[in-house]
Amino acid sequence: MKFKINRDHFSSGLQQVLNVVGSRATMPILSNVLIEAKDGFISLTTTNLDLGIRCRVVAEIQESGALTLPVRKLFSIVKDLPSLEVELESHTNHQAKITSGTSIFRIMGIGADEFPPLPDFADEHSFVLPQGDLLRMLKSVSYAQSTDETRFIMNGVYFNFEEGKLTLAATDGRRLAVTSREMEVSPDNLGSLILPAKTVGEVERLLGQGDQVRIAFNERQVAFEISVGGEGKEGGLSESIYLVSKIVEGNYPNYRQVIPKETDLHVKLNRESFANCVRRAALVTSEKSNSIKVRVHDNLMEVTGSSSEVGEANVSLAIDYSGPDVTVAFNPGFLIDPLKALSRDEIIFEFKDELSPGVIRTQDSFLCVVMPLRLN
Amino acid sequence: MTQRRIIHIDMDCFYAAIECRDDPAVADKPVGVGGSSGRGVLTTCNYIAREYGCRSAMPVFKARELCPHLVLKPVRFEVYKAEARKIRKIFRDFTDLVEPLSLDEAFLDVTETPGYAWQIAREIRKRIFATTRLTASAGIAPNKMLAKIASDWRKPNGQFAVLPEEIAAFMETLPVRKLWGVGPKSAARLAEWGVETCGQLQAWTHTRLHAAFGEKWGDTLYDLCRGRDERPVEVSRPRKSLSTENTFNRNLETLDACRAQLPTLLGDLDADLRRQPSVRNFHKVFVKLKFANFRTTTKECPATTLDEALFQRLLEEAFERSPHSVRLMGVGVRFAEPALPDRDQLQFDFAS
Repeated sequence: MKFKINRDHFSSGLQQVLNVVGSRATMPILSNVLIEAKDGFISLTTTNLDLGIRCRVVAEIQESGALTLPVRKLFSIVKDLPSLEVELESHTNHQAKITSGTSIFRIMGIGADEFPPLPDFADEHSFVLPQGDLLRMLKSVSYAQSTDETRFIMNGVYFNFEEGKLTLAATDGRRLAVTSREMEVSPDNLGSLILPAKTVGEVERLLGQGDQVRIAFNERQVAFEISVGGEGKEGGLSESIYLVSKIVEGNYPNYRQVIPKETDLHVKLNRESFANCVRRAALVTSEKSNSIKVRVHDNLMEVTGSSSEVGEANVSLAIDYSGPDVTVAFNPGFLIDPLKALSRDEIIFEFKDELSPGVIRTQDSFLCVVMPLRLN
Repeated sequence: MTQRRIIHIDMDCFYAAIECRDDPAVADKPVGVGGSSGRGVLTTCNYIAREYGCRSAMPVFKARELCPHLVLKPVRFEVYKAEARKIRKIFRDFTDLVEPLSLDEAFLDVTETPGYAWQIAREIRKRIFATTRLTASAGIAPNKMLAKIASDWRKPNGQFAVLPEEIAAFMETLPVRKLWGVGPKSAARLAEWGVETCGQLQAWTHTRLHAAFGEKWGDTLYDLCRGRDERPVEVSRPRKSLSTENTFNRNLETLDACRAQLPTLLGDLDADLRRQPSVRNFHKVFVKLKFANFRTTTKECPATTLDEALFQRLLEEAFERSPHSVRLMGVGVRFAEPALPDRDQLQFDFAS
């Protein structure tokens, strides 16, 4: 294998696949990137056996072939090469010689035949949607995923392609974020999956480099084909980035039943003002007493925080409200997370009593249900 | 590999012993702890109750049949946990390598602790009794499996050691049922082949074990029946931070020279983070410098990613703290405390 490539193209390609490396000491090949040179491109592939990513970068191929090299080391070398012109040539014993300007590196690799191939699979369901939309949807729910490994079914984002719409949901048992978007889904294409948290992070990172993303899945795996345009193309990336991942197997909890139905008590709020109130009140809370109280009465919302270590805070906001006097305590982070992730200015905040969840809603079919903390 | 010294400490009827301690009136009666309703099961019971045939996990009605005057105490988990904390604190005075198996038993690796393991075990049991008025039994051996078997040998309130040179003789007559991982099912299968003791099982070749139990379990059994067990004592206490550092051959005189070291250190730290058994979010990052005069300083700030620019800033501030050159530089992260279940936080009820 021998090819010439632009340094910045090479490093931007490596950057796409860099995060996916295996941690198993027994399989050092998983710390490597598979480089395959053919037909005017090199393709770069990494996998940790649960998740794999592949991208293609333009290159001047002088001799096609394949080799694997330690991806992190390769990335730090390529990033630091002195000249934009880089030549990579494979030698016997799986060595690679990298030449750029007056620098020459010889890097030990592992044969390409030992690299576990990304799984091919028959996609039973397949959808195309704009990358921007999917990215917004993911970001508006992904913070609510559980990180508690004992609740693995919640360690991911739930995708449900149902009649006429795509719904995304995430919950950790204390809060639930749900968003949906209208979409044509033919009856034989209905289906759902749980995307693992690690994959959610990678998909969020890769989205936004082009127009469309294609999602295909079956009962065990999901693939994202993320088209590359504009900036990505200028960076030497070609066509699309391909990501394939295992899915979390099991039944997602029936989250719909915990969404409160009655909506008699609610206030319209400016998203940023509300977030600021909560953030300020939370400044005096401590790890031990991480809670704030939200009280609404007589056209006023008061958000208070206190801890024995620091002191007290009382932040108020004028609102349009004439209902009963209600106080509910929340973990401030659980309110700030959705408020930060949203982009609309106006939100609706619903509540009922001190033991019932609070709900943040927007006009565009987003909602976040937050369970309260017991008032002492 | 040096010969390890492992102690297995097993509290004697832990829950029941606490109940008897706290209510001396029942101390000489058969006492069970567990479900007070007619349908519950015994969590555990004291030795007097065991003489009647009561066992843990036995339905309460069954236990009452065997022992009509059984005193049943409700489970007081918080109390047991508090006692377990005191006991673990004692362990840590002897070694950091403590692997709790449950509230009432733990493995200790005392290879590096000065003194005879036998004396250490005796001292630990003495201190447990002085602190909690509860008795413990101990097993001392070169590995976890043997230590656990040994702690059962002189129960209650006793200890037993299997010395390296005694292993062969000890295993010869040991029933296979005592081996780690050999349950009633495996034992029954072995019995069909006429194998009752580890000595008899030792006659089996790898090939025969593979055929009977599969390759992986077969290999494990081959070692276990010879008293071999390489499993380390695993400290489950989650680490609070992770860092990597480098002591330089020649002290670094300038800030620029220090800056030049950052990418390598961060690369190593990043690699170490990826090698962690599970993904954990960190909430702080820090830079540590040790100066030529051996004074150490650490500068940290909140962050959730390894941002090189941020480390540069921390480095600058740390560097400014001393006029001396730098002999050691380190970078690291501090992990967020695993969230304790918050009793005040209400949870969704997904069931039904």
